[in-house]
Amino acid sequence: MPCRDAGRRSVAGVTALRRLEAPTGLRSGDHVFWTFASASDFSAAVLPFLDEGRRLGEQLLLTGASRPALIDALESLPQRDEMLASGQLEVRSVTEIVDPARGLEPVEQVQSVRSEVEAALGRGRTGLRVAADVTALARRGPDERRQLHVYERLADAMTATVALTAMCLFDTSLGDEVLGPIAVLHPDQHHGEREPLGYLSGRGPWLSLRGELDAGLADAVLRALVDVARDSPGEVVLDLADLQFLDVAGARMLATAASLLAEIGVDVRLVRARRLVGYCLELFNLADGQAVPT
Amino acid sequence: MTSSRPTGEWDGTGFAHEAFVFGTDEELVDRVVPFADEGLSRGEPVLVVAGERVRTLLGEALGSDVARLATFTAAEEWWRGGHRTLHAYDRDIRALRKSVPSWRLAAEPVWLAGEDGREWSRFEAVSNRCYADMPYYSLCLHDRQRLPTPVLDAVARTHPLTWGGDAPIAAGAYDDPQLFIRSARPQWYERPDRASVGAVVTPKDARQMVCAWVPDEWRPRADEIVLATHELVTNSLRVSPAAELASWIDGHSLVVEVSDHGPGLSDETLGYVPPADELNGGRGMWLTWSLADDAAVASNPAGTGIRLYFHR
Repeated sequence: MPCRDAGRRSVAGVTALRRLEAPTGLRSGDHVFWTFASASDFSAAVLPFLDEGRRLGEQLLLTGASRPALIDALESLPQRDEMLASGQLEVRSVTEIVDPARGLEPVEQVQSVRSEVEAALGRGRTGLRVAADVTALARRGPDERRQLHVYERLADAMTATVALTAMCLFDTSLGDEVLGPIAVLHPDQHHGEREPLGYLSGRGPWLSLRGELDAGLADAVLRALVDVARDSPGEVVLDLADLQFLDVAGARMLATAASLLAEIGVDVRLVRARRLVGYCLELFNLADGQAVPT
Repeated sequence: MTSSRPTGEWDGTGFAHEAFVFGTDEELVDRVVPFADEGLSRGEPVLVVAGERVRTLLGEALGSDVARLATFTAAEEWWRGGHRTLHAYDRDIRALRKSVPSWRLAAEPVWLAGEDGREWSRFEAVSNRCYADMPYYSLCLHDRQRLPTPVLDAVARTHPLTWGGDAPIAAGAYDDPQLFIRSARPQWYERPDRASVGAVVTPKDARQMVCAWVPDEWRPRADEIVLATHELVTNSLRVSPAAELASWIDGHSLVVEVSDHGPGLSDETLGYVPPADELNGGRGMWLTWSLADDAAVASNPAGTGIRLYFHR
């Protein structure tokens, strides 16, 4: 069926992109991007999210810049103090998790979250639910953001396979240029009034682009794609089977990404494009299934 | 007479584009064989792409020299619609340009004889502009017995050179490419009252709106209609805060109109110009014009409207 309402489709085994209206109704495997504009905005997202986890018997973890501020933000969370006392709820500052001197180490960090999930299950919890205000890391600079993109991709893939529900929170003051590439690395997006169009997924055997990639999203996907693919020497396969729309600007972005990556020894292979997507790829000699010429 | 060369004053540095309309076998052979011989004697690649009659005649006349031609192929299989045909051709000549300083081509676009091939004249017109720097002589062969008069008229208006009997000469009927395109596309008429109309401020809105308007009979083409409309709207929204969409059925065509208050198209031929190699070159109009069966443009001081026609 052509031109359906893209991004709403749910296919067994495939995580579809969706716009998240409320921070609830979430289960293991969900990986949420959420922006906030104020402290009350932040609480309004985090409280229902964590309270839902409490009711589900999950281990709860909240991280952010300042531990006291985070505790304050949880003031109206039911059973906050009891959960802090029992250890069901933990609150940590980012500096406890990421050594400021070393910066974010994506592989190590993902492994550490995975261990926390196992520990939560070992304590008899039904899973781990994490709300992380990552604003401080995103603010540091381009290198740190690159690491953050790599981390988000690995974390997204991991979230699909363990008893983890994750919400990554970002202050809207970071601006679209910073937030755009981070948003597209999440299947569940709440980005103010913006309608999420695309998702660069690390779930499954290949990287895949899902949703609609048009001129408005091209820069964000370019940055995310180059960052997550650059450390994979050899070939990176990008699955386009769930990409429902691609325009000239989006195809130009894919050609640009392919050429940037080729310069550092990474060959991008685009596979399973639908006919409409193929029209635009053809304009840039990006043939489906073949190595991208450089 | 300073020259009786079969390529006249052409010096091999730019594009020469001649229409040669032939009736008899002899006329054809007398024009093309010296043209090919001159190229072969200069070591220039000579390409021949033609219909069966022309291939047979040239095969007999050139004899063993046929083996020296860079290409000697059947034109019948080339036609894949105007845009796809030109895109494939364009790739070939760009590859040639990288490997040789100049070349010559004798080509018979046999598809001009068919109804759906007539749009080729627009590409012939625009080639005079977009291939101006391409170093080749294109001798276009047209069989007077096969082509209807309106097509022969279009041939005369789209080739700056014609055969004067012993040398190529300027064609009196030649038109500026933009003027030719304007005369060839559908006439602009007032938008009918029955049209669906809506305003959009994002390309996503436009995609949803036009998708909802696609009637059942056009469903198989909905993807193309949505993508073509999207590209026009994306262009509009670069110069205008909003774009207006309208759609209606006109005979066997679904018409989609995109209008804005912007300054209009700087070059109305762009929908027929194949994409350049560099990444940043424009491709949106080429894609849009290739997805639609036809397109019309109207510009006035208040704004610009583009209509795309999609046959059922």
